[in-house]
Amino acid sequence: MSRILEETPSPSDPGGSGGRQPSILVIEDEPRVRQAVREALAGDANRLLEAGDGAEGLLAAESHRPDLVVLDLGLPDRDGFEVLRALRRWSSVPIIVLTARHADDDKVRLLDAGADDYVTKPFSSAELRARVHAQLRRARMTPLPGGDVPVAVGDLTIDLARRRVTRAGEAVHLTPTEWGLLETLLEHAGRPVTHRQLFSAVWGNASGDAQHYLRVYVAHLRRKLEADPYNPRRILTEPGVGYRLELDEPATPAAPG
Amino acid sequence: MKIGLAPSTIRSWLLAALALAAATIGMLAVRSSLDRAHVALVYLLIVLCGSAVGGRALGVALAALSFFLFNYFFLPPYRTVAVANPLDWLVLAAFLVTSVIAAQLLDRAQERAAAAERHANEVARLSALGVETLNAVRAEEALGAIADVIRSTLDVDRCEVYVAARDPAAATSLRVMAVARRPGIAGEVGDVTRGRASVAGGESDSLMTWVAEHGHAMAERLDGTSRIASRIAPRLGGRGWPRDAEKDGDTAPPGDAIAGLETWHDAADTRSLAIPLQVRGRTVGVLRIANAAGLTLRPDQHQFLSALAYYAALGVERSRLTAEAERAEALREVDRLRSAFLASVSHDLRTPLTSIKAIANTIASSGDERAAVIEEEADRLNRFVADLLDLSRLSGGALRLQPELETADDLIGAARERVRALPGGRRIEVVGHDAGGVLVGRFDFVHSLHVLVNLLENASRYAPPDTPIEISVERGGDVLRFTVSDRGPGIPEHDRERVFEPFYSAAHGRPSDSGSAGLGLSIARGLAEAQGGALRYEPRPGGGSVFVFELPAADVHEEF
Repeated sequence: MSRILEETPSPSDPGGSGGRQPSILVIEDEPRVRQAVREALAGDANRLLEAGDGAEGLLAAESHRPDLVVLDLGLPDRDGFEVLRALRRWSSVPIIVLTARHADDDKVRLLDAGADDYVTKPFSSAELRARVHAQLRRARMTPLPGGDVPVAVGDLTIDLARRRVTRAGEAVHLTPTEWGLLETLLEHAGRPVTHRQLFSAVWGNASGDAQHYLRVYVAHLRRKLEADPYNPRRILTEPGVGYRLELDEPATPAAPG
Repeated sequence: MKIGLAPSTIRSWLLAALALAAATIGMLAVRSSLDRAHVALVYLLIVLCGSAVGGRALGVALAALSFFLFNYFFLPPYRTVAVANPLDWLVLAAFLVTSVIAAQLLDRAQERAAAAERHANEVARLSALGVETLNAVRAEEALGAIADVIRSTLDVDRCEVYVAARDPAAATSLRVMAVARRPGIAGEVGDVTRGRASVAGGESDSLMTWVAEHGHAMAERLDGTSRIASRIAPRLGGRGWPRDAEKDGDTAPPGDAIAGLETWHDAADTRSLAIPLQVRGRTVGVLRIANAAGLTLRPDQHQFLSALAYYAALGVERSRLTAEAERAEALREVDRLRSAFLASVSHDLRTPLTSIKAIANTIASSGDERAAVIEEEADRLNRFVADLLDLSRLSGGALRLQPELETADDLIGAARERVRALPGGRRIEVVGHDAGGVLVGRFDFVHSLHVLVNLLENASRYAPPDTPIEISVERGGDVLRFTVSDRGPGIPEHDRERVFEPFYSAAHGRPSDSGSAGLGLSIARGLAEAQGGALRYEPRPGGGSVFVFELPAADVHEEF
């Protein structure tokens, strides 16, 4: 494997004057999909590194220290899971996995193995871009949201330090369990949190009835925080995987056709 | 078994007569110097030799003849039957009794020795067969050997082994697995599988199937009529082997299982006997023995037959299990191929779709509406691929279900997240049920979401612009009942079940340009039913359609 890594300088930010350009490593064997990823991400002042298989990808990650990795699960030389674990042994770089598999326990395994997010093929470039932005912003952000400063999103303010939540100016009472859930979701804001991650964070590793009722607790939390629990905007369900707390204002939906 | 005048019998009788005559003549020549005891011993010797060679009949005959000769030639007055000394009568009587008893004892001892030898032979054969049954590469070979041994040991014309198979319609069919014939006899003995059994419960096509279906032994008379070997049936197989054998499962050879045949074997008008072969109380086949000249069995032969029938049953069972294992292996292979195929289709179709969709989306974001069309079509193609894969998994039983305690809130919320933007001002409204608590069910979230999204997309295709599509959910007994209602044209009565057939809409002129391949509703119903739910159509009062989607409800015993 001696293919030279392509670097695509971003045309929109040739001088790199606006701070350091984030570099994104794309590990994907299909040239066309790689191109699609490139086109999706190139416009946003990113520096793109590309690798065609797992070995090359790991090498590139080590030598270039990218700010984010987009990893395809179906690589020719080794399983994507293997690459993911190898990366996680020494790096905490945000990793977004591209998966063609629709089996949801795969997604759960990915997140448990240390992936930060996943995008299911076929994806729209907007979707990929949004996920990449969320991860890059989160990586830049210190301290974590909710640490000292109250988080305000829409009509909701969450003040973890004072353990206070208000919705449209009115205080919302949360039970200790609901606080635990909210804290965990906030800690992973913008990223999917698996059911298992949630209940081990809230209840520890104890197994009991509580974990079966996780979804019921989340439903109660959602009813307190969402204007319309049947049309949630903050606590989103990741089908078969878990939940995701969305802090961004939802993007304006594409104009109906 | 048979008593006749075989050449060997005639020869031994002649020999005995000659010996008797020679001894008598010889002793007459030296009569003056002979004691009574000498004469008695010589005659006794001849009687014993005779019965050893010619059996009990010859022995007794010789004893009687010797008695007469002793009296006539060697007890004074000579050449008369009269006896001078009354004490001589005592000698004569003692001689007669001794010689008859000796003949009897000798014969019995010989019979025992012969029986022991037969028994030893049978044991040797049985153990050889047991080994063969276990070792034979194919069960058919073992059965052939068993049939051979039964035929030659019982000395009958034919021995056949049939395997019974029950088809789904509960009809029993029999297939010949092994046949052993007496050399030189080619033809059939008795009416085996043709004609109808003229017996009680004569539904069966033949005597043999009757035996297989009812688990009773059946005897066929020489005149061709049949009868249940009723008195033997309960012991012979009937509903089982003897109690103690049943207790030990199928491993205990049914020792006296066939002993009941003793009540039957004297019926010499039988020409064939069909015995059910049973393992664990289940009839797996039929063993038939036939003899054109009639069938009579000794008790030891019954035992032998019973033990061998058991071996045959094991052989038949083994061949069935082998066939089953082969079939299962083939099914596994098909399943593996199917999975590999699905994975390959999924990958090979989605990879190009991924680049098409992503690049089209990038172009569309710069304002080219044609690219948006490409992206929509890519989505449509992707949904169709997903539908085909789902249909294949559903029909192949490869669908994996992961039922969990889930909430209606999550399901409806996730479904609306999936179908966020609806064209033409159509919108989704959740009606009713706001005051109630969180509704909980036990179902597979991903598949149920697929169903609900499908119903919403379906409704959005038929709902007129600017009308709401309504979702409701309620608890009704053991089910969570979701409904998706629209104000579309509804479905004519004769099509209300057919919309759930695959490819229905494509074939029946419902708008096919709306992105439906006609798979959605059939898959949705399959997914609902696979997890114990239901999906049905109801006309909506005031016009439109209502799809009712039910999932198993669950109770949460917890305070919140």
